[in-house]
Amino acid sequence: MPVSSTTRLAVSEAFTRRDAAGHRLARDSERMARACREMAARFHRGGKLIVFGNGGAGTDASHVAVEFMHPVIMGKRALPAMALSNDAATVSGVGARDGFAEVFAHQVRHWADPADMALGVSPDGWCANVLKGLETAHELGLLTMALVGGDGGAITRSPAVGHVLVAGSDDPAVVKEIHVTAYHVLWELVHVFFAQAGPPVFSTPSGPHGRSGEPEDSGREAVR
Amino acid sequence: MDDDPASEGIHRLYPFLDAGHAVRAAHPELAEERDAATRDAAHAGHVNRSTEVKAEEIVRLRARVAELYTDRIAECAEAMAARFASGGRLFTFGNGGSSTDAQEVATAFLHPSRGRPLPALSLTSDAALVTALSNDVGFDVVFARQVSALARPGDIALGLSTSGGSANLVQAFEEAWGRGLLTIGLAGYQGGRLAELAELDVLDYLFVVPSSSVHRIQEAQTTIYHVLWEATQHVLGTVPGLRGRHAG
Repeated sequence: MPVSSTTRLAVSEAFTRRDAAGHRLARDSERMARACREMAARFHRGGKLIVFGNGGAGTDASHVAVEFMHPVIMGKRALPAMALSNDAATVSGVGARDGFAEVFAHQVRHWADPADMALGVSPDGWCANVLKGLETAHELGLLTMALVGGDGGAITRSPAVGHVLVAGSDDPAVVKEIHVTAYHVLWELVHVFFAQAGPPVFSTPSGPHGRSGEPEDSGREAVR
Repeated sequence: MDDDPASEGIHRLYPFLDAGHAVRAAHPELAEERDAATRDAAHAGHVNRSTEVKAEEIVRLRARVAELYTDRIAECAEAMAARFASGGRLFTFGNGGSSTDAQEVATAFLHPSRGRPLPALSLTSDAALVTALSNDVGFDVVFARQVSALARPGDIALGLSTSGGSANLVQAFEEAWGRGLLTIGLAGYQGGRLAELAELDVLDYLFVVPSSSVHRIQEAQTTIYHVLWEATQHVLGTVPGLRGRHAG
């Protein structure tokens, strides 16, 4: 089938449009490492990761939760995580009765322990329910983090949010792609710090895929 | 029970399932004590470089995917647009992290940030149906059964897998192909069983991300389906700022 030259150009331009934001992520490496070190310490204290977002960002919340709960890299231990956007009954129920801004805050209030971590995902940084969820988490003593994009929005400016990563794009699709790389790196670094600071009783046996303290992605991976 | 190697593996992988949780909760100072600043500093440079390497890796991988597939993605988007224009719908599926991608693809088409909403459904979202089919029949049929119940010949099936080896995707694509759907696969590594389906023309389009890292594969696949969405909107002439080929 002959392809129209304008379609080909649209595809080509779309790929190129990703480059700048992709390169920019490298600049946030130190910021990410700081958040991951705190996360590893909280996982050691028995904390769990609570993730939430709207629309496409809700699928990111699920992705982050499954990444931690059931790692694709064999031998990496599971760490407790849950996605608040998965429970359609509760999200729509709280939304209908108390307003959509409450859907994550309500769940945080009833699920969170002080040792936990809250991660909000919002492509433009302006999602009111994500901000409310993070503010509630902060009040309860959780570590609060956000993945945002655009101008960073109200979430970036909120004193309740401890760590923020702003993807350098206004296009929500590009922002999501940067976020996917960011949380993959985040998962990996949490494991680096987790292994580094681990109590001996839980240390991972060393082996070709289990060297502690080494970021790597050469481990055996599940068929998925 | 602890002598059982399988049980030991489970304990190691899921420490929060056993009594160790209580040990950890009772001795939180263990973590802090070992969190020595000097060791952190020694690792910091290494950790930061590792993140930078990964960021550059995915930028290069995207460029490679563009080199390999720009024409095929454009062609696939035109085929999808033609089906949508004739009333076709999109069904998406995948396992694990790829199931969240399937949901993202569906919502990106159905409730787009800009452009025209198009009918799309993720076959991974209905926990009642997925658990019922898995429990009563088997996990390999969870997507195929839904395709056979819901799909019409003019529809589109899009499945994502990092390995290309998921049996439930293979069955869904066979079912979709038999019913006359446009079939689109996203895979990684060498394409696995989906590459065999492409050889047999059961798959109309297969985009294999040339990487062996599950993470980088998923990241490049995210770009592929976003670009597919954008190009589909372009062909339909519905993305502001991009002139459709039929629009002018």
